[in-house]
Amino acid sequence: MADSPSPDSEPTTRTLLRRVLDTADVRSPRRRRSARNAIQRSVFETTSSRSLGSQTKTSVRRRSHGARSIGRLAHVQASAYLEKDTPRTLLKNILLTAPESSIMMPNPVVKLVPLSQVVQSYRRESSQGSLELQLPELDPPTTLGPGLPTSSRKKQRLRLSVFQQEVNQGLPLSQELPVNADSSSFTRSLNLTFTTPLQPQSVRRPGLARRPPTRRAVDVGALLQDLQDNSVASAPPVSRTDYATTSSPISELQPPLPEVTEAAGSEEAVRVKELEGSSEDEDTSGEPASPELATSTPELLQAKQSHEFLELPPPPGVGVLPSEPLEPVPARLPSRPRAAGPRPYRDPYRTGLSHYVKLFSFHAKMPMEKKAVEMVERCLDKYFQNLCNDLEVFAAHAGRKTVKPEDLELLLRRQGLVTDEVSMHVLVEQHLPMEYRQLLIPCAFSGNSVFPAH
Amino acid sequence: MESEAEAEEQQEFSYQQRLKAAVHYTVGCLCNEVALDKEVQFSKQTIAAISEVTFRQCEHFAKDLEMFARHAKRSTISTEDVKLLARRSNSLLKYITEKNEEIAQLNQEQKAKKKKKLENETKNSIEPEDTEVMESEN
Repeated sequence: MADSPSPDSEPTTRTLLRRVLDTADVRSPRRRRSARNAIQRSVFETTSSRSLGSQTKTSVRRRSHGARSIGRLAHVQASAYLEKDTPRTLLKNILLTAPESSIMMPNPVVKLVPLSQVVQSYRRESSQGSLELQLPELDPPTTLGPGLPTSSRKKQRLRLSVFQQEVNQGLPLSQELPVNADSSSFTRSLNLTFTTPLQPQSVRRPGLARRPPTRRAVDVGALLQDLQDNSVASAPPVSRTDYATTSSPISELQPPLPEVTEAAGSEEAVRVKELEGSSEDEDTSGEPASPELATSTPELLQAKQSHEFLELPPPPGVGVLPSEPLEPVPARLPSRPRAAGPRPYRDPYRTGLSHYVKLFSFHAKMPMEKKAVEMVERCLDKYFQNLCNDLEVFAAHAGRKTVKPEDLELLLRRQGLVTDEVSMHVLVEQHLPMEYRQLLIPCAFSGNSVFPAH
Repeated sequence: MESEAEAEEQQEFSYQQRLKAAVHYTVGCLCNEVALDKEVQFSKQTIAAISEVTFRQCEHFAKDLEMFARHAKRSTISTEDVKLLARRSNSLLKYITEKNEEIAQLNQEQKAKKKKKLENETKNSIEPEDTEVMESEN
């Protein structure tokens, strides 16, 4: 008998079969009555390990029950190997002709696990085209043979033989398992067939492909704008198709103003935001654009290097950019170098308030003048200054250094929002989301634990 | 029952009216002083408006002072509460702090005087006793 290696060491059925072929004695136990029978029985005899037997059995099943497989067998028989009708040759034919895919076996049985692993590995190797092949192959493990009654008998015989093998080897395999396994494996294999094609797709696409192409267009347009603006300041004007000149002013500008690219990057971020419909506030977007700088600079480099994008995006890019963004560019560029100047004084107020101003302009449902926006901003600034001053004073009045909810309650009371009839809890319930409410209003949870604890 | 409530209400109302009248009178006097000073004239409606506003603002102040005192976990309104109330206008705050200091000084002086008086009294009481004792001994 052939000494087949343990299935645990070998990952694939194919290699196992190969080994079998290599190690097994050359003999022809029986003359084949029919191609299938000989294959089955010889396979059954030659392989001692159960898993191998099941694998070969599955491969044999595949051969016997797929119409194509039958055709192949016939073809094989018609080939030169016809004379040598040994299991070895038949296995070789199988190896040559069998598709990469195989059937999935259930996991619950211990000994079946290596098979399932092997099968799964086979499955993963399978390409999308094997989908069609898998479906007919799935029939064998189930209570199949709706169209092949004769083969089903043999299937059943095979299954019994397999079962006997397993029993002989002392497996805790029950008769229910194959049935359940078959049905579950069928569904499982179905699920697998659906999932595997998705995997390679996501793996193939790199992260860059996720970025929308519009952003690239804007970047290049912004780059050109910046280059033009910078060129107005220093270098000669840059032509669109001329890359040498684009690269040279960049290289010139880079040593004196390394922040130009950053400014351009932030500019792009600004443009992107403007495209998305953000406010006219320029300095504010500079701050949140700083984390995007790292991502935008490689984009810039790519945009510089790629030839195709330069020709396509400039028309939409220039069209998209109105005259307004030109103002922020010179405004940002001189402000960028003095990073630690008055900018941090202005910015913290404006960055925080720009959000509220945006909300205000959104809820106004009407276009707002710039002056109106500025007035709103100043009023909000004063309001918040007063608010925080009051809170600080209230805390100090109570001899504390930290502002607590009691101070806020006092403030709301002064404003008339909290009265003897309307308590703060009512306002919290009305206006705040659930998470804040849970933090503010003590609530008893299971086990009578109160949170937040007083 | 209702008559009592009504009577109370009436009392309160009349009390309020009297207070309002007092405020109105004071505001009128002040406005006349300012008119003489700045050589500007005040109409009656102006004085009435100012007095009404003053009255309502006093109500607000009182509530605020009570809230501040309660916030500081006190049951009496102190000068700290008043200062907190007046923090909005700088000049008023200054004025109040100065007044507060004056009052504090006065209080200290009074305390010092009281102490001296007490000491003198005790000394005087001791001395006549000594003299009496001496006289008695003699």
